[in-house]
Amino acid sequence: MRMGLFCVLFMLLSACGGGGSSSAEVPAPVATPPPTSSPPTTTPTPTPTPPPTDPVPAGISESEGHRFLIQSTMGVDHDDVAALQTLGYEQWIDEQLQLPASSQLAYLTSLPEPANNFQGQADRIDAWFRYAVQGDDQLRQRVAFALSELMVVSDSSALFNTPAGLADYYDVLAAQAFGDFRMLMEVVTLHPAMGVYLSMLGNEKPDASRNIRPDENYAREFMQLFTLGLVALNMDGSVKTDDLGEPIPTYNQQIIEGFAHVYTGWSFGGSTNFNRPSRDFTVPMEAFPEFHDTAPKTLLNGIVLPAGQTPEQDLAGALDNIFSHSNVAPFVSRHLIQKLVTANPSPAYIGRVALVFSDDGNGQRGNLGAVVKAILLDTEARTLAGDSGGKLVEPILRLVQLWRAYNASAVSGRFFFPSPEQAFAQAPLRSPSVFNFFSPAYAPPGEISDQGLVSPEMQITNETTIASTHNYLAVAVFLQNSSAADLRDDTITIDITSDLALADDRDALIDSVAMRLLGRAPSASLRIQIDELLNRIPANDADFRVAEVIHAIVTSTEFARQP
Amino acid sequence: MQRREFLALSASTVAGAMMPLRAFSADAGLSGYKCLVNIFLLGGNDAFNLIVPSSNAEYNIYATSRQNLAVPQADLLAINPNHPDGASYGFHPAATALQNLFEAGDLAVMANVGPLIEPTTKDAYLSQSVALPPQLFSHNDQQDQWYTLKGKSPLSTGWAGRIADLLQDSTQAQQLALNTSLFGTTLFQAGDTSVPYTVGVGGANTYGALDAGAILGASRRAAFEAYLDRGFTNLHARALTEVHQRSLGTADKVNAALALVPQLTTPFPDSNLGRQLNTIARLIAVKDEFAMSRQIFFAAAGGFDTHDDQNQVQPNLIQDLSDSLGAFNAALVEISQSDSVVTFTQSDFGRTLTSNGDGTDHGWGSHQIVTGSAVLGRNIYGTMPTLEIGGADDATGGRIIPTTSVDQYAATLARWFGVAESDLAQVAPNLGNFAGQNLGFLG
Repeated sequence: MRMGLFCVLFMLLSACGGGGSSSAEVPAPVATPPPTSSPPTTTPTPTPTPPPTDPVPAGISESEGHRFLIQSTMGVDHDDVAALQTLGYEQWIDEQLQLPASSQLAYLTSLPEPANNFQGQADRIDAWFRYAVQGDDQLRQRVAFALSELMVVSDSSALFNTPAGLADYYDVLAAQAFGDFRMLMEVVTLHPAMGVYLSMLGNEKPDASRNIRPDENYAREFMQLFTLGLVALNMDGSVKTDDLGEPIPTYNQQIIEGFAHVYTGWSFGGSTNFNRPSRDFTVPMEAFPEFHDTAPKTLLNGIVLPAGQTPEQDLAGALDNIFSHSNVAPFVSRHLIQKLVTANPSPAYIGRVALVFSDDGNGQRGNLGAVVKAILLDTEARTLAGDSGGKLVEPILRLVQLWRAYNASAVSGRFFFPSPEQAFAQAPLRSPSVFNFFSPAYAPPGEISDQGLVSPEMQITNETTIASTHNYLAVAVFLQNSSAADLRDDTITIDITSDLALADDRDALIDSVAMRLLGRAPSASLRIQIDELLNRIPANDADFRVAEVIHAIVTSTEFARQP
Repeated sequence: MQRREFLALSASTVAGAMMPLRAFSADAGLSGYKCLVNIFLLGGNDAFNLIVPSSNAEYNIYATSRQNLAVPQADLLAINPNHPDGASYGFHPAATALQNLFEAGDLAVMANVGPLIEPTTKDAYLSQSVALPPQLFSHNDQQDQWYTLKGKSPLSTGWAGRIADLLQDSTQAQQLALNTSLFGTTLFQAGDTSVPYTVGVGGANTYGALDAGAILGASRRAAFEAYLDRGFTNLHARALTEVHQRSLGTADKVNAALALVPQLTTPFPDSNLGRQLNTIARLIAVKDEFAMSRQIFFAAAGGFDTHDDQNQVQPNLIQDLSDSLGAFNAALVEISQSDSVVTFTQSDFGRTLTSNGDGTDHGWGSHQIVTGSAVLGRNIYGTMPTLEIGGADDATGGRIIPTTSVDQYAATLARWFGVAESDLAQVAPNLGNFAGQNLGFLG
């Protein structure tokens, strides 16, 4: 009967979706080659270090260091705080910028061939958790995750059939996370996973006799969601308005059509011809000039690409045209700030970061390493946020934070957790659509909306998901800790041994767990809650007492938000 | 550590005695029970391939525009509208259940509806002499238009949310929110003062660690609720707290009620949409447990953004919609609520008449479907557009200008639901710009 408990629990969790996708809903399999041993298509780009934008405080307290690592890593291993205190913020960032990217594809190819695509995607999720929890390149992983929610592809689509293609796509994001944004635009555009997801791959020049026009999907979403946004922005992210006070659109339908004509003539790399695709998802797409439109194309700011250019020339011209648009700096800067630091950055903060995007101090535009550094070193990031500041932790990162705080691992060495979206309404590269799991502009009705503020993660936080998240965190703490019974080889287990010695010393135990998970003492209110529970557990029941305290803290609202 | 019952893991805890419920006492203004069910087709449904002209002249125009994406004329499922417009029409061959509902008089087609601020002609569109909803052809912006009807205003409530606000006084006896979503948080149901509720297809999620069946569960729950009640100074923490409180406060009651109808005999498609509608039918079946007199449900299906492989993808999308609607209407008969529930579709936009080779792009106007015994069905309402590229209804590029606004569509549904005539403009702010404020499909 006790064995059954575990299974029943998972049945319960898997029955409780959050409106997210279910693997049963993916399209029928399409023949796809198995993962290849090809290396990722790009390698990390070392980034020159610009001067700091703000002075770094002389001494970093334990709490301050912990808070910095909440913003800059996938989750805080509190033991890392001491090293950060020694290095200082800037040098810590510089060291992170130099670390090579972990490769999901390399990991996938080291695993046994998956029996099917569900297993293949489970392996890919395993790779993501592996590097999120155990990777040294923590800042890179955090930025890559942020980019994966900007330039979205998802396995809730035909891409379900290519775990390797998605792993390679994520590798590209990780490799470019501190590189040149213009290069990121290009590798994303030419990645076959994106090509399939937003149907640029196979897009043909017009054929008026058959009423065929180029597909506008990539042209539209690349500008709307990945780079520019719909309305013209000032450098501080505020909206430019016309004489009537109405927002000025960034582009119109004609410009979308111009870009749609640019993105014609591309198919899988290594294809024998346009209509016999190689279906190799791990090499960049390749142009087939006879399927490319050669008429002139009107782009942003009145720029016209001349007739007769090659597909590559048109693409370069189009990406340069977008990259030079004044929206890119505030648009991308705000996205990264919202993902790393705060849901509601001040215009001045966006403006300071956007300036670094425009010029890293060495004349380079779009240096993401410099942008990330500016975001983390900014006064607004380093000052403890007020009552409307900070942000909610993305739901899946709450789990990663627990796992990093308590050094989670499985005997098998794997992170077998194939459907995290069922508990957290989120999983890497598994958004329900190109619009990501939630909108950066989402404001829950009530005081947040009334004040003109946003809380994006609240869009996937509802009565259903909040309970499933609570439930999985309870499982991860009570049933999957190092003292628990019936652990399996693939149970991802948190190591609570070091807290056991403190179990009979109430205050020491609470302070230790809180420091690990929050980087500070719990609120008085949370301490009351924990006291009430510890009063009911015998002082010699160490396992129970430790798990109870961890559970109370990871399910608290103070753990669910970044201060 | 011994395995102990740290967590109670099933909904069995709800099997106990149900909480006493307040007596039902409807306000004088609202009699009986009425329910609206919105099925949102995410991505932009290509309804020009769902309801297709079948008479030769009109079909030929359609086929010339649609080329390789045209549904073969011989495959169309014939329908016989009570008030034909001169042409004849048929449903897509995957929509047999819709054909049956139509012929039985329980389905109306609302032709060529879409977001508008004022009546819009092609000349006015081309000369930019008419106010238009911002960011036409953009998914999220046009979804928001369907949800909010905001036009160019900064309105941040949905029209179902505003209906709930308006009816708050007359639905005070209700023990569940008027608005319930089976598909997560939706702007459609966001109110100014009313607060919607979200439930899963498997019922309400309960907190296993806080369950009375778990060791320390009851204490844990009491301690956690007291923690939430003590409140927070941080805005984001307060937002989270409200959701926790609604979830904890409602889940057991909802599951206890659902346990009264563990299963309907009507089979539903084993699809995401089918499961949502199945749960909605069961919630309607137990409406009296919550003293509900008015309810609006939100369900949704994805995958309609058919830029690619439309000929392969679309039949499955239509089949799912059709079979799910067929099952839902049959289930309403089973639970004797067919007269009180009206189900209607919405979608981001229609799609271009032009092809991109194997799919379609973002359009504007499109047809929608309304079902239920209360519907004056077996009819096509509004005006069928000319499906000619460059024709009178084509804004440009095969994007059809709507001839009926979503404001009119919403107002027609809201009036039937019980919103006072004088309040309709609060539901549909631009309604006053249009003649024909009752489209007639609900009498």
